[in-house]
Amino acid sequence: MVAAAQHPNIELVTYAEVENVAGYVGNFEVTIRKKARSVDPVKCTGCGTCWEKCPTKVESEFDLGLGKRKAIYLPFPQAVPAVPVIDREHCRQFTRGKCGVCQKVCPAKAIDYEQQDEVVTEKFGAIVVATGYDLFKWEEVYGEYGYGKYPDVITGMHFERLNNASGPTGGRIVRPSDGKEPKTVVFIKCVGSRDEAKGKSYCSRACCMYTAKHAHQVLEKIPDARAIVFYMDIRTPGKAYEEFLQRTVHEGAVYVRGRVSRVFQEGDKLIVRGEDTLLGRQVEVAADMVVLATAMVPSAGWDDVAKMLGLQTDKDGFFQEAHPKLRPVETFTAGVFLAGACQGPKDIPDTVSQASAAAVKVCQLFTKDEMATDPMIAAVDESICAGCAMCEKICPYKAISMKTITERVAGRQVNRQVATVNGGLCQGCGACSVACPSSAMNLRGFTNEQILAEVDAVCL
Amino acid sequence: MKRVGVFVCHCGTNIASVVDVKKVAEAARNMPDVVYATDYQYMCSDPGQELIRRAIKEQRLDRVVVASCSPRLHEPTFRKTCESAGVNPYLFEMANIREQCAWVHAKDKEGATLKAIDLVRSAVAKARRNVSLTPGTIPITKRALVIGGGIAGMQAALDIADAGYKVVLLDREPTIGGNMVKLDKTFPTLDCSA
Repeated sequence: MVAAAQHPNIELVTYAEVENVAGYVGNFEVTIRKKARSVDPVKCTGCGTCWEKCPTKVESEFDLGLGKRKAIYLPFPQAVPAVPVIDREHCRQFTRGKCGVCQKVCPAKAIDYEQQDEVVTEKFGAIVVATGYDLFKWEEVYGEYGYGKYPDVITGMHFERLNNASGPTGGRIVRPSDGKEPKTVVFIKCVGSRDEAKGKSYCSRACCMYTAKHAHQVLEKIPDARAIVFYMDIRTPGKAYEEFLQRTVHEGAVYVRGRVSRVFQEGDKLIVRGEDTLLGRQVEVAADMVVLATAMVPSAGWDDVAKMLGLQTDKDGFFQEAHPKLRPVETFTAGVFLAGACQGPKDIPDTVSQASAAAVKVCQLFTKDEMATDPMIAAVDESICAGCAMCEKICPYKAISMKTITERVAGRQVNRQVATVNGGLCQGCGACSVACPSSAMNLRGFTNEQILAEVDAVCL
Repeated sequence: MKRVGVFVCHCGTNIASVVDVKKVAEAARNMPDVVYATDYQYMCSDPGQELIRRAIKEQRLDRVVVASCSPRLHEPTFRKTCESAGVNPYLFEMANIREQCAWVHAKDKEGATLKAIDLVRSAVAKARRNVSLTPGTIPITKRALVIGGGIAGMQAALDIADAGYKVVLLDREPTIGGNMVKLDKTFPTLDCSA
């Protein structure tokens, strides 16, 4: 993280969103909205006085509601850049029009309540999409685990925050309900993954391993603790993964093969009822905490990103690569590459490999000053183009526009509209050639004449 | 007058065990503008490509048709072969007699051979009307945008930046790090994620 922030060739643009993408490979024009931080990043020293003094406390999104933050805040201590942001929805200066504490205490005079969103358009030669994942909203469908009404039924990500030294508990694993250390922790895998009825058909690929890690951490940090893992299958197909799992098992984690049918509260215990399919009988555990390994789903807003960049998605919203084996980081939009979980669920080692692969594709493009384009693209015969613009409407790549040409007809200057093709954008799909009512649009290398000759050779 | 050469590939036994490749080559010799037709074990191999290059020179071919596999596989290969022998790569045409013929008609050898001849005739008809095409060029802005500052975005940005190109690393959150930075230790080595 720090390496990315300090690299002379990397410019960080945080708290910003892409609003529009125009252009084509080598020549994208991207409109970026830089949201108002209300803090001048040049003046701010990241000293922290503002958030210490801020009187408004809000649930921290970063800690998934397990901790609090202020209305002016850094999401976490090592945040990059170390420039806080004012949450205008909760800040008293914005909601009630008075407070101004942070502005008064800031020694660098960096607080600027008047700051506006800034919209810029910049040129790029290539785009890497690395929009990541969200976690499946289990609370909406898993009634048997309590629809989220039991505070001590948490997700793996909550568990990470509890475990993290800079998290809300300073790295102590405790129950969100009463702050007590749990002695019996039950882990349930495949919550939303491999569950076509309630969730997703796919395997999320990282959960078997992080659950093994969580079980290890429970056994390591809590004396006399029990870690019980309910699983359907254990999938550990990475380097040193199976060994890691075996280590957790040897440390004492109990793996039970079967689904959990119900979790309910009894006193301060969570009763986990399920089946051990290897023993062929019902089991019941009185747990202090239940951790769900929830499925990975595409990051919110994936549909907007797909529309802007012309990306295809699979049935679950993950971005589609150009070929599942041979072109795993390329997309059908030239110059746009994929990295990480936005293409499909994956763990960190796979993500890093894929990101480096995407980077190589970008570098490959950048090693040349000019790029050769496929000559098999659409071409207009201006002499017969009627300017109806049917092709402009049908083109999926926005490669066709209309232009005015001047002709001499019967000794007079006449202006008329004709179609024109942008060679950088045209992908040679041929949709325009089919739509053109006057056969003025032809695909080079697949002209109407050439195709008809092929057909005639077989049929006549 | 165009001078078309037709090259029928056996693809080992993939094609030749179903399609009578000699018969296809023979039929091709009688197609309009075809001045040369032959068959060979593996057209995509070095000797196969050399055979095409030699025929282009000796027979003064200006159009080449290869009847073999799907163009998705070897069209780029044969276009390069033509180019290296002085024929514009877009004057090359491919007839798919493997995926679209031999593999799907394995039980009907005679029918498959007739269909292969039809596919070649069709490709020859197109090749006769092919014209030289030249790729255009577009300039490249050597600056990359990485959308998303999680582990994937950071790694991609660092690699591109290390190669000497400018990168903008964009995130909708106030900080980079993504989901990864919320994690405690990471498997299988249990090292810190921040």
